[in-house]
Amino acid sequence: MTTPSKELTREEAEAFGRELDELRRRVVADLGERDVAHIRSVARTAHYSEVAGRGLLHIGIGPVSFVVGVSALALSKILENMELGHNIMHGQYDWTGDPALDSQRYEWDIACDGDDWRHSHNYEHHTFTNILGKDRDIGYGFLRVTPEQPWRPLHLTQPAFAALLALFFQWGVGAHDLHFSEILSGKQSPEGLARRARPFLSKAAWQLFKDYGLFPALALANAPRVAFGNLLANGTRNVWTFAVIFCGHFPEGVRVYQPEEAEGESRGQWYVRQLNGSANIEGGRWLHILTGHLSHQIEHHMFPDVPASRYPEMAPKVREICGRYGQRYGTGSFRRQLGSVLGRITSLSLPGPMSFKKARLDGTQPFCAPETPTTGEGRRGDAAAPYRAAA
Amino acid sequence: MAWIQEVSRAWTKTRSTAARRLFLDRQAEFWLAEVDPVRSLTETRARVVRVIEETADTKTFVVRPSANWPGHRPGQFTTVEVEIDGVRVRRCYSISSAPGDSLVAFTVKRLPTGRVSAWLHDHLSPGDVLRLSEPAGDFVLPEPTPEKLLFVSGGSGITPVMSMLRGLHHRGAVRDLVFVHYARSRSDVIFAEELRRLADRHPGLRLVLRLDDDPSPRRGFDEADFAELVPDFRDRSTFLCGPAPLMDRAEKMWRAADASGRLSRERFSAEPKLRALSGPTSEVHVRFGRTGRDLVAAGAGSLLEQLERAGARLPSGCRMGICHTCTCHKKSGTVENLVTGEVSSEPDQKIRLCISAPRSDLELDL
Repeated sequence: MTTPSKELTREEAEAFGRELDELRRRVVADLGERDVAHIRSVARTAHYSEVAGRGLLHIGIGPVSFVVGVSALALSKILENMELGHNIMHGQYDWTGDPALDSQRYEWDIACDGDDWRHSHNYEHHTFTNILGKDRDIGYGFLRVTPEQPWRPLHLTQPAFAALLALFFQWGVGAHDLHFSEILSGKQSPEGLARRARPFLSKAAWQLFKDYGLFPALALANAPRVAFGNLLANGTRNVWTFAVIFCGHFPEGVRVYQPEEAEGESRGQWYVRQLNGSANIEGGRWLHILTGHLSHQIEHHMFPDVPASRYPEMAPKVREICGRYGQRYGTGSFRRQLGSVLGRITSLSLPGPMSFKKARLDGTQPFCAPETPTTGEGRRGDAAAPYRAAA
Repeated sequence: MAWIQEVSRAWTKTRSTAARRLFLDRQAEFWLAEVDPVRSLTETRARVVRVIEETADTKTFVVRPSANWPGHRPGQFTTVEVEIDGVRVRRCYSISSAPGDSLVAFTVKRLPTGRVSAWLHDHLSPGDVLRLSEPAGDFVLPEPTPEKLLFVSGGSGITPVMSMLRGLHHRGAVRDLVFVHYARSRSDVIFAEELRRLADRHPGLRLVLRLDDDPSPRRGFDEADFAELVPDFRDRSTFLCGPAPLMDRAEKMWRAADASGRLSRERFSAEPKLRALSGPTSEVHVRFGRTGRDLVAAGAGSLLEQLERAGARLPSGCRMGICHTCTCHKKSGTVENLVTGEVSSEPDQKIRLCISAPRSDLELDL
């Protein structure tokens, strides 16, 4: 069990922020050739593995070439979406002046429209990170991922819903900026939704055409094999990105904020919120690249427009600074973080836990939930306990 | 037949939309460059063929542009783009080669504080690939070529008129041309040998070199000296390019002689003047290059807020420098990054309006 972060005074938070600003300044001053070389080599790998994957699917026969082909195509899609698309669209490479790395013009190979993403993710999520009611990434408007969200009976279905979301994650991401739930609450008219959905529908149509129309047609007799292969590659990418992204904000120990808490916050306090609203995944170089360095979610949220491949070298310094200010630096292995997220989704599908809410209201605990070690098993018991007691 | 045009237009549009939405454009661009780094569908690239040391501080880079190079008119410039430590930078250089050549040459003087010119001198070598913009500029020889010509150049200002001279030479059209060139010393004369050769060859070409270290005549441009040298300067179609003091005096002389109509000039672009750190009352003029809109930005806050107060409606998001929604291209001028205090005065840089403060008049690509 790790200790929750210390509440910092405004002055302390400012000093904390200044140290992070200084770290950022040092890295930005050092950007150059090697960052460009890195991103271009990732792009090259993605291009070659796409051609290899499609080639094997199109002209191969038998299951071995099918499995290798699907893997290569999935790898390409993962690299393109994560290390390239996500990071380029954050403006991490805008300083290069290369139009191929231009945040405003880049379009990624996924059902989500680039402009929708730039709005819902770069602006909404990164500005209002983990503020209840403002960051729509908290549970994506449906899932209950923190005890602060009020329980609804529909949440009983959320383990199944989460599994579906994992399989079709790109469609969830794509539809995220449409604000579907606002239809239910009457905040959005059907006409407004139709207008808002246009870029997504157009992007989705082209994506479907590409993967399930054009490429299978080019494969002639191999069409079913290609269509199925594309489906599996897309699905693999979906499950992988779901897992990575859910590990970024929803593991145990990550806290959410009430809108009042973030009102008028300083730059330093913004840093504190980014830190306490994010969690890292530990791993090697390839894990980091395959997650688009979202395994360094903390560094990403502090420095969203610094080239992500710099996060591993920034992390020890960030961690050291956090240590000095008594801030929790949430990190763990992929298994641990994912187990924690899945456990949480399961346990929070049940109402409660009342004890946490009470603690928050008392102001005795700045933290939403006590930390328990690994898997969901223990957590589920904990979370359900007050509910069962009440029943 | 109108409908054929309509169909072909629709087809072109559909094709480009499909290419973009299916990422075929990106694929094509990647694989073309993978096969040959000079090939591109979207930009003109060129490979350096030869580097010529003209003088102690001047080099000519001879490049072979890709097939989509549109060719230039003598006197025009091109924007050369290279990547220095991962960052693309652009500089305009006059083309010194003759039009119609398959090789294009631009000549670069190493400036004492010029980061780009120094990099080109130290690093650009045969085999390297760079990008060229479409040639531009109105400082060109008119068609048909005027009978009586006068070229006046100083220092590296010789490059555009050299292209004109080479063009005339290629067409065998050197008829009545006076070429006056100013330089610090004989060894500073760019293209010296070729100029001498051309002067020997063409009786219609009168070449005059005015050198600062010559013992006899006066230093630099002098009105009396010049009037003596070229008594009929008023009647000649004149092309002038050189450092600002030379240009200013020559322009005055032509104005006084009521011959400005026959004077064409090419100025080296001046650096924008840096304002003193902007107090809340200082005003800057902001030009939106794409829409041609002019605004006056003033008062407190970021450039974004100032422009909004001036009536501009611009995309913005977090307004704290993280989401890049307000990122735009600054074509010229100086801004200060409010977060880092970094000053950006290079042309063609991306800035985030919400964390930039103007430090000079600006042109934005909006």
